[in-house]
This record gives sequence, C-alpha cells and structure tokens, in this order.
Amino acid sequence: MRYLEDFAVGQVTHYPPRTVSEEEIIAFARVYDPQPFHLDKEAAKQSLFGGLCASGWHTAGIVMRMLVDHMAGRYASMGSPGIDQLRWVRPVFPGDTLSLKGEVIDVKPSRSKPDRGVVTSRYELRNQKGEIVLTMQSKGMYARRPQAKD
Amino acid sequence: MQYYEDIVVGQGRDTGSHTFTEEAIIEFARQFDPQPFHIDPEAAKKTFFGGIIASGWHTAATVMRLIVDSAIALEASLGSPGFDDLAWLKPVRPGDTIRARMTCVEKTPSRSRPGIGSARFLVEVFNQKDEMVMRFTSIGLMRFRNRAL
Repeated sequence: MRYLEDFAVGQVTHYPPRTVSEEEIIAFARVYDPQPFHLDKEAAKQSLFGGLCASGWHTAGIVMRMLVDHMAGRYASMGSPGIDQLRWVRPVFPGDTLSLKGEVIDVKPSRSKPDRGVVTSRYELRNQKGEIVLTMQSKGMYARRPQAKD
Repeated sequence: MQYYEDIVVGQGRDTGSHTFTEEAIIEFARQFDPQPFHIDPEAAKKTFFGGIIASGWHTAATVMRLIVDSAIALEASLGSPGFDDLAWLKPVRPGDTIRARMTCVEKTPSRSRPGIGSARFLVEVFNQKDEMVMRFTSIGLMRFRNRAL
C-alpha cells in the first residue's frame, strides 16, 4: 500500500490511453449534459465546436477513471477535497484517443489531522495528435503510513 | 431565454432539485470512479465515510444537468472553458436531494469576437438540510442576443 510518504514533488505518471466512442458521448450527454453539440451531429456542426463532442464532465469522468484504475487498491486514498482548476482546452471528438500525464506538485501533511495529508497534482490530457484537450490541478487526500508497533 | 446581456452580476438563480438513488450512484461510479466507497455498500461501511457516497464527479455532472434543465442559458450557451476552486465539502448519500444556486460574479465581453461574452458564476450546491455539499466557480461563454458570432 502506498501512503502520503510515498509521494514526492516532481513524480511523473503516464496513464494508459483510452479511445472515446460516439455512443458513449451521446449516452453520457443524454443523462447529464443534454446540449445539442453533445447529442446531435447536425446541430453540432453549427456550433463553435464544429462537430459532436464530449461533455466536459464526461471527459473529466474519463480522467477520473484513469486515475482510479491506476490506484486500484494500491493507494491509501481518502477521496478528494477538490479541484483547484480545470480547463477544457479543446473539444474531444468521437474516435479520439486520450492519454493522461500527471505530475506531483505539492505534498502536505494535514495540520489538524495527523493521520493524513494532501497531494496536489497537475494533469494534462492529450489527444492522438498530441494536442492538449484538458488540464487540471487537483488535490487528493491520502493516509499517512501507520507507525510500526512493537 | 437568457443571453449575455441578460446576465446581471450579483444576481442568483436557483435550479430544480435531484434525488440520488443508490443504484444511480453505483452505476455512475462503476463507469467513472470505481472506488469501494462509491460502488460497494458493505465495503463502504468500513471506510471513513461510513457508507456509500456519490462520486464527486457524479454530483458535479448532476449539477450540470440541473443547470441545463433550468434553461439558465441553454440556447445562448457556447460551452465552457472550465472551472476554478471546486470543493467537495460534504458527502452526498443515497436519498439526498441536491439543488444548485448560480450567481454571476463577473462578466466580460470578448475582445476578439463581438458576438460572444464570458461570465463567471459561483455555483453553490445544497442538500435537503441546506448544507453546502459542493461549490465551484464556473466560466461560461455566451452569445449576445441578435449578434453574429
């Protein structure tokens, strides 16, 4: 199990790529973001995006899934207090293959709760052309390594 | 229908509400956030949340739906470049009902595109006990009424 102590500023992680389908873009948007440019190919052509594209919240969910698959029970994660900044830089279109890179920028033990601390990371999500589609700076809470008992 | 001109700095608007079911919490989390405290009611009891809670991204996506349904800016909406300072303040549990309030804190016309303006909204999300469960500052690009893009 990895704890707060196992994070260090400057650590870089590359996460396995994922391809996004038109079906999943539309399925997500029907439930959570039913705007024409996420649902309807014809209407989307008239939009600023120039074509059907994923809800930004869908793209954020895909990033979350990449992070969780990487952690998969190997990290003492205690959830997240929040996101400092997220930018949807370019649209994500059907068929795009997305790759995530993360870098640790801060590690801070909690002042009030000695059993945990917060790791701040900066993420970049790129498409198959190498263009940045999303950037995010977010915080994750992690347990500190339990002290050995004798 | 609200266009850029209709947005008043300092004015708040309320969305409708939405109640979370355990099924929906699990379904969202299986796809996007499969951590034990979001997908497994038994395992969740043993975590520090004490029971299953919605993924914070599920809460955020649901707020997006509330905003779209309240037609605060739907036809005039040109998408969003992002958001700042999102905080998940309290867990959202099965049976909880949330609603959001959007207050414009700043608006700026685009310099390069006369038909477009951008506005920042403080989005505050409350549960049925009026406790704030989440907040963030969202940026929206909006169309002017009767102006070419």
